[in-house]
Amino acid sequence: MRDSLFHCLARTTLAAVAAVIIALAGPPASAAEPPSTPRGPGPLETSCVTCHQQLDGAALEPTKHTGDDIHFLKGLSCHDCHGGNPAAGADGDPDAAHDVKKGWTGKPSRLQIPEFCAKCHADATFMKRFNPQARTDEYSEYRTSVHGKRNAGGDTRPAVCVDCHGVHGIRAVGDTRSSVHPSNLADTCAKCHANPETMRPYGIRTDQFALYKTSVHARALYENGDTSAPTCNDCHGSHGAVPPGVDHVSNVCGSCHSREATMFREIEKKKHLDLEPCIQCLVCHGNHAVKQPTDDMIGVGPASTCTGCHGEGDAGYKAAARMAEDLGRLSGRLGEAAAILEKAERAGVEVGPDKFALQKAHDDLVEAKVLVHSFDIDKFVGVSTEGIKVAEEGISAGNRAFDELSYRRLGLSLSLLVILAVIAALAMKIRRLER
Amino acid sequence: MSSLERLGAWVEERVGLSAILELGRHKKIPSHRHTLWYYLGGMTLFLFLVQVGSGILLLLYYRPSSDQAFESVQFIMTRVPFGWLVRSIHSWSANLLVFVLFLHMFSVYFLKAYRKPRELTWVSGMLLLFLMMGFGFSGYLLPWNTLAFFATQVGTQVAGAVPVVGHFMLRFLRGGEQVTGGTLTRFYGFHVAVLPALATGVLGLHLYLVQRHGMSTPPGVDSKKEMPFLPNFLLRDLIGWCLALGCLAALAAFFPWELGQKADPFAPAPAGIRPEWYFCWMFQTLKLIPGHVLGFEGEILGILGISAAGLLWVMVPFLDPTGGAGGGRSRFFTLVGWIAVVFIAVMTAAAYMPAGR
Amino acid sequence: MNDGGMPPATGTRRSFLNWFLGTAAGAMCVSVLYPVTRYISPPDVPEAQTSRAVAAREGELKPNEGRVFRFGGQPGILVRTESNEYKAFSATCTHLNCTVQYRGDLKSIWCACHNGLYDLMGKNVGGPPPRPLEEYKVNVADGEVIVSRS
Repeated sequence: MRDSLFHCLARTTLAAVAAVIIALAGPPASAAEPPSTPRGPGPLETSCVTCHQQLDGAALEPTKHTGDDIHFLKGLSCHDCHGGNPAAGADGDPDAAHDVKKGWTGKPSRLQIPEFCAKCHADATFMKRFNPQARTDEYSEYRTSVHGKRNAGGDTRPAVCVDCHGVHGIRAVGDTRSSVHPSNLADTCAKCHANPETMRPYGIRTDQFALYKTSVHARALYENGDTSAPTCNDCHGSHGAVPPGVDHVSNVCGSCHSREATMFREIEKKKHLDLEPCIQCLVCHGNHAVKQPTDDMIGVGPASTCTGCHGEGDAGYKAAARMAEDLGRLSGRLGEAAAILEKAERAGVEVGPDKFALQKAHDDLVEAKVLVHSFDIDKFVGVSTEGIKVAEEGISAGNRAFDELSYRRLGLSLSLLVILAVIAALAMKIRRLER
Repeated sequence: MSSLERLGAWVEERVGLSAILELGRHKKIPSHRHTLWYYLGGMTLFLFLVQVGSGILLLLYYRPSSDQAFESVQFIMTRVPFGWLVRSIHSWSANLLVFVLFLHMFSVYFLKAYRKPRELTWVSGMLLLFLMMGFGFSGYLLPWNTLAFFATQVGTQVAGAVPVVGHFMLRFLRGGEQVTGGTLTRFYGFHVAVLPALATGVLGLHLYLVQRHGMSTPPGVDSKKEMPFLPNFLLRDLIGWCLALGCLAALAAFFPWELGQKADPFAPAPAGIRPEWYFCWMFQTLKLIPGHVLGFEGEILGILGISAAGLLWVMVPFLDPTGGAGGGRSRFFTLVGWIAVVFIAVMTAAAYMPAGR
Repeated sequence: MNDGGMPPATGTRRSFLNWFLGTAAGAMCVSVLYPVTRYISPPDVPEAQTSRAVAAREGELKPNEGRVFRFGGQPGILVRTESNEYKAFSATCTHLNCTVQYRGDLKSIWCACHNGLYDLMGKNVGGPPPRPLEEYKVNVADGEVIVSRS
């Protein structure tokens, strides 16, 4: 009995162990399918790369970027731009590779570069292979720009494609290391536009980059990392770069600050005014050094932008004064309310709903500041009065909270009296007992 | 017999409470110029009971998790009727308890009530002192505000500096390497379960020993006058307790305990962080010891020094068993006691001086 | 003196004292027991409303309507879509923290400050906001629309 039981157990155990081993070993690994090789030599297997890697100086430079250039990464190589025969000349015979019959163009001149790049980048059928969404109007845009027009006229100094995008180490625009990524673009433009030597022949000022760096847009972009904040190309365009004419500026600012821009257009329509020379965004806010707007900019004080045009006694002057007064009162009250409610909460009184209601005053303050651009004093006052009312309610709520605290003290003082009475009674009892 | 008397007789047959009452009737308190100090023990007990009561009320609403502790205390203070009162009383009574406890301890010391046969009363009393400071330390973290968080960080850091067992102690206290929500839960467990259980046991022993040996008469007091515990001493005790209750009510009303700001473990420690005032003298002492003394790290020397002093203090009944009977030895111990009081007072005050003197 | 006995001649004064002591002690007991009893009775809300809140009553919102409600000290927005689904999000715009609102005409959540736009999945689809709105869980129970953090 025992023996057969033992044999039975032994067999079962062996079977179990075998099963585990087989399970762990797994199915035989299937040989990985090799990726299908492209027809012809891969981008790094061309004779161009092989040969130039053995040279030095400027001839070696292009081969250093085979790992980061977007063209290489997409499978293109030297001959796709420069032409020539990528299969010949690896043995050291440059003429076989630099075959004019195979389309070799060599190094294009600065006047030739725009068409050189446009060979592919303006060809929608070609670009679709790599990116169905790719734009192909960069070249035509470029030709509308100051850079493009001067280049077409034979001037080799203005920017061509490679000045902004790089020559051989071109990264995608979305790559944070790209010279045209929003976080780097201003520096790329500044390479020329902040250089007095370069700009002197054209009589263009060179302080824009420095001014931009002081702006609130630059702070949003560089300090907060907000790539939705504008840099040079957002207002001036990328390829069709022009300074926006004075009549276009508010459209440009309005592409983000749409509410304010809409208000401008409404005012123009309503009052049948041609406000273009008088009020465009840059008159009050500047163009490059756009600072954080402060409440001082509104009103009739020394830092005000309104008094530049409005004199004492005219309707605009009065409206500005009223706006400044209301804004001051609203933000003052709001601050007071927030402080008193905070103090009450720390002291232990429930003020949550009141703090929440105060949020409306904050929203009204922001709304009022936007409504400055409507130049409609009635609309403005409607919102600011609302906000002031809410803020004042917040202050009374805070005061009520402190009344609650006083009420508590009153209650406790009463109980203190009771305790004193007990103490007095006890003392009298003791005296009575021990007399 | 009235129904009340009949009820009393029924209970008496079964429980036999009258024996305790008899004890109380026979208990006599020596009546002399130092009798005032006798009230401190009962006062401490009263404040401890206030803590137990208010603590039980608080734990009906408090939540010991890092994302809910602060909000639950805020809830108690703002939404629970009289929650602000219970919370402020609990916080103030904790401080008052420790203060009165130190007064009680020092008065017993100077009146030499630790002499034979009361050595174990003294030792159990010192244990209670350590337990109460443990209550204070663990309870301080529970509101999970900035002050509490960093004070705990500093305090457990010091514990970690003890040689050999320091790191283990630090991890045991913190529930890990850092002060986290795990520390909070652990401290809550200490505060409402572990320490109360230990304190109940030691307190029971302490009170039993006090009843067994009665009140000690200080050396140098010859008067044999006495007063009965019931009702004379007890009535006076009650006056003291009412005074204490009144103080607590006044403090709660006029100096309510603040909520503070919710602890942010990733924010830098604010300047001037220090533990609660009853730990400050130790903290200040450590701060004043130079970084390195005779090749040893100053902090470790400080910790060992304070621990040694504490141990000697606990052993005082065995070092001075007769209270010196007026001789040189007793004067020596009295002097040591005064040095200790002054040292603690000065160090506590120094901890509150503005930094950079 | 030590046995607490008193000459009976001053009985009325003694009983006045006893009455006074009894009444004062009783008053003290009441002034302790009253707050304790109020404390123990459940408050008007059972717990701090940081992780869940009643945003509206059922039927308060019409389809294609939204409203801002308070959620643990911060604004939240409850939207009843045209298909009668309730959606709830944080109402703090991810751009510069203004409070958003529901626009029935756009069937989207809109921020008035800089024209930011979010779709009904909370995703930022227009304007400057860089991130979507945090979405909350919505449950309807007992005639109340309850919002809780997911």
